[in-house]
Amino acid sequence: MTLDEILAARPSPGQPRTYDFPRFERTELASGLRVLAVSLPGRPLVSASLVVRRGAGDEPADVAGATILAARAMTEGTRRYPGVELIEAAERLGATLHVDASWDAFAASVDVAASRLGAALELLAEVAQRPTFSDPDVARLRDERLNDLLQVRADPRRRVEQAFASTIYTADSPYARPAAGSEETVPRLTPDVLRSVHASVLDPGRAAVVIGGDLTGLDVPTMVKAALGSFGEGGGDHVASTTPAPPTVPAVDRPIVRLYHHPGSVQTELRIGHVGLPRRVSDFHAVQVMGAILGGLFNSRLQMKLREEKGYTYGVGAGFDMRRGAGPFSVRTAVQTAATVPAIADSLAELRRIRETEVAVAELAAARDYLVGVFPLRFETPGAVVAALAGLFVNELPDDELARYRREVEAVTIEGIQRAAQDHIHPDRLAIVAVGDAEAVEAELRSAGFGELEVIREEVPPEAGEAGEGSE
Amino acid sequence: MEDLDRMTAPHVRFTDERLANRLRLIVSEDHLAPVVAVCIWYDVGSRHEVPGKTGFAHLFEHVMFQGSGHVAKAEHMALVQAAGGAANGTTFLYRTNYFETVPSHQLELALWLEADRMATLLDALNQENLDNQRDVVKNEKRSSYDNRPYGAWFHKLQGHLFPPEHPNHHPTIGSMDDLDAASLDDVSTFFRTYYAPNNAVLSIVGDVDATQARAWVERYFGEIPASPAIPSLGDVSLPPILGAEKREVVVDRVPLPRHFFGFRAPVLGDPRFDALEVAAQILAGGKGSRLHRRLVRVERIAQDVAIYPVGLVGGASMVAGQATVRPGVDPAVVERAFEEELERLGREPVTDDELVRARGLIETYELEALQRVDERADRLSMFATVFDDPDVINRQLDRYLAVGAAEIQAVAAEVFRPDNRVVVTYVPATEPAAATGGEETAA
Repeated sequence: MTLDEILAARPSPGQPRTYDFPRFERTELASGLRVLAVSLPGRPLVSASLVVRRGAGDEPADVAGATILAARAMTEGTRRYPGVELIEAAERLGATLHVDASWDAFAASVDVAASRLGAALELLAEVAQRPTFSDPDVARLRDERLNDLLQVRADPRRRVEQAFASTIYTADSPYARPAAGSEETVPRLTPDVLRSVHASVLDPGRAAVVIGGDLTGLDVPTMVKAALGSFGEGGGDHVASTTPAPPTVPAVDRPIVRLYHHPGSVQTELRIGHVGLPRRVSDFHAVQVMGAILGGLFNSRLQMKLREEKGYTYGVGAGFDMRRGAGPFSVRTAVQTAATVPAIADSLAELRRIRETEVAVAELAAARDYLVGVFPLRFETPGAVVAALAGLFVNELPDDELARYRREVEAVTIEGIQRAAQDHIHPDRLAIVAVGDAEAVEAELRSAGFGELEVIREEVPPEAGEAGEGSE
Repeated sequence: MEDLDRMTAPHVRFTDERLANRLRLIVSEDHLAPVVAVCIWYDVGSRHEVPGKTGFAHLFEHVMFQGSGHVAKAEHMALVQAAGGAANGTTFLYRTNYFETVPSHQLELALWLEADRMATLLDALNQENLDNQRDVVKNEKRSSYDNRPYGAWFHKLQGHLFPPEHPNHHPTIGSMDDLDAASLDDVSTFFRTYYAPNNAVLSIVGDVDATQARAWVERYFGEIPASPAIPSLGDVSLPPILGAEKREVVVDRVPLPRHFFGFRAPVLGDPRFDALEVAAQILAGGKGSRLHRRLVRVERIAQDVAIYPVGLVGGASMVAGQATVRPGVDPAVVERAFEEELERLGREPVTDDELVRARGLIETYELEALQRVDERADRLSMFATVFDDPDVINRQLDRYLAVGAAEIQAVAAEVFRPDNRVVVTYVPATEPAAATGGEETAA
């Protein structure tokens, strides 16, 4: 055979090896703290995460940013390991220690060799239970956040995210705010405020420890009990073990356009969307397949149009950011300034099309086969498995959610996709938020008729100085 | 000094051979997960570009996804994703790599896709696709560099550290004018010159039967002709140090001043470069590091600090660093403190405890990286391409762990000296930015 004949014959796939999401053992300590352990033989690096269903979405508006700042401040020192001694202790174990907070949850995590898991769990317990929140450390972290806010305003990619969130949600929704706090709220975040956040996190009824890796020969429940058996003692009063989702009332009831002037910008950062969906939604799998076709696959409809046909952008995506409450739905891209209006028009056309006409059989197949096929690739490492299990716990999803995932995706139909698009994408109340050069795009944007246009001119970059002075 | 009990880093077993057309094939079986990674390194990057054609190697990489003899435009990604896989390509100064990670029963598809474009890319080449990807790449440049605060810093350091005639001088992304100048002829010539089996290393790692994999590679790649003459770059050697400090002040639309530091350094593979990686961990690897402690935590003069060793081949590597100045602080104070810490490393040995901590973290990072089949495939191709020795994958960690205080002190004294230093300082425009419209924007 010639080379051309050989290459002309496309190979067909072999027999797939069976794959099941790894099984995990669930136990519960006397305190109510749940322990999920997943054994992954051959993975000597273990991931362990203490996750609490209490995130930035659960904090009061006047101290917005307190949860994330508390998480950051926790690795600044504990009673047993003051200051940098904490990080030094972790490094001596070869362990990477992180404390993070998201909208939904608070997590203290460590990656460490299986042989040193016991010592790492002791350290995890120390950082979770006995942080110091010293005055100078908290003051410095506040200043770092205020300085970071200056950088946000100067960076179109970050500015547009904030502008989009504050446009689509009413002010009483936490999701309208920057998760890490604003110029107004950050100065209020005293050590006492952080201590009260921390007290609310010390709640074994809303917490789980998830551990994955090669756990051969390790008695994980006993190790967790030794380290975290008293987790929650000394915390606040905790009545309910479930946490209500944050309020998410849409602020936009008709198409609108907000243009934030960024002088001289060579691209326009665009976010187009509205309030979307919470993670616990009955047609989750249809929404996933629909999102993949619209803006998730590399060859999604938006990507084929804006990138591969028009060349307006390096990349475009769209989808639902699902949280415990209804997170945003958005189309996200950055386009060359001159293409701003046509790129918006093309995006809007795709949002209408996925609602109005059925997707093709081949489109359904491509998205479904991708989501089903890529499933084992997503869980190659302990860190990924642990994160997925923590996500189940945080969203209060059933234990078999991941085991069922591929069956559910395979069952999605063309009708289900169209119904999901019609139910969850709303062209009649889209917010189009742009950060770009108003001198170059305002006139064309005004005559395009996408919706009522508001142009916001703020100082870019903002004047620096206040943050530093306040801290000295 | 008491080091940690060492973890048993898994030994990566592999086979290493060449086909008759000199394609280098490395296969490593690992049946833990039902996935397999395919990674091809072509020994060509932006340093092979000729004057007036900067950015071309990367633009070419995009063209590689625009179809080939038996694959339509955009179909490469469609087939890989429908198979449940992920794929991409990246271009750097000294290489271009292409990779797929797929469920193991889809390995043959990935191999066929790579073979088809290595053999028949030009059959599908047309002006429309080239123009489209030129636009995409120009938007990539805008997104990644031009429309970002401080966006040009790396290219500025590169430009100062390497003389204009040196192949490492210009940025991989290229210039807008040069991208505009790229023609179909350039694509053909570049393909015929560099995209040949004898200029490539193909690694396959994961849940495969090595015999079967080898048979497929022989079938799909075996008949692709070698390139008769792959040009060599000639002498790209450089003096080990710059000779005199270079400084640049950039007035930009940024809220806080930020210093970027650059130093010329030994090339990849030189044990001194390993020592620099350990030194970077001690200097700026997280909250326990020297620079973070002093500049961020104690003196509170910087918002953040970082050090990035950038390993290169041909002439010299670079070490980059940065520090963002806090409001109200004199940038000169931050610069001095940063440089003092780097220079102190060359005068006094690091402590045993610093070494133990750095080694512990480096070991964990290495183990973390090597968990993934795609990372192992990439490293095997890299070490074969750069060092002609894929087994470095099993020795790299030991090389880091062998670095002692004396080696760190010696390399720091060689590298972190004023006459080997570039300092690029971004400062906010003094005029309120809102007043600068149209043509008058600060240069």
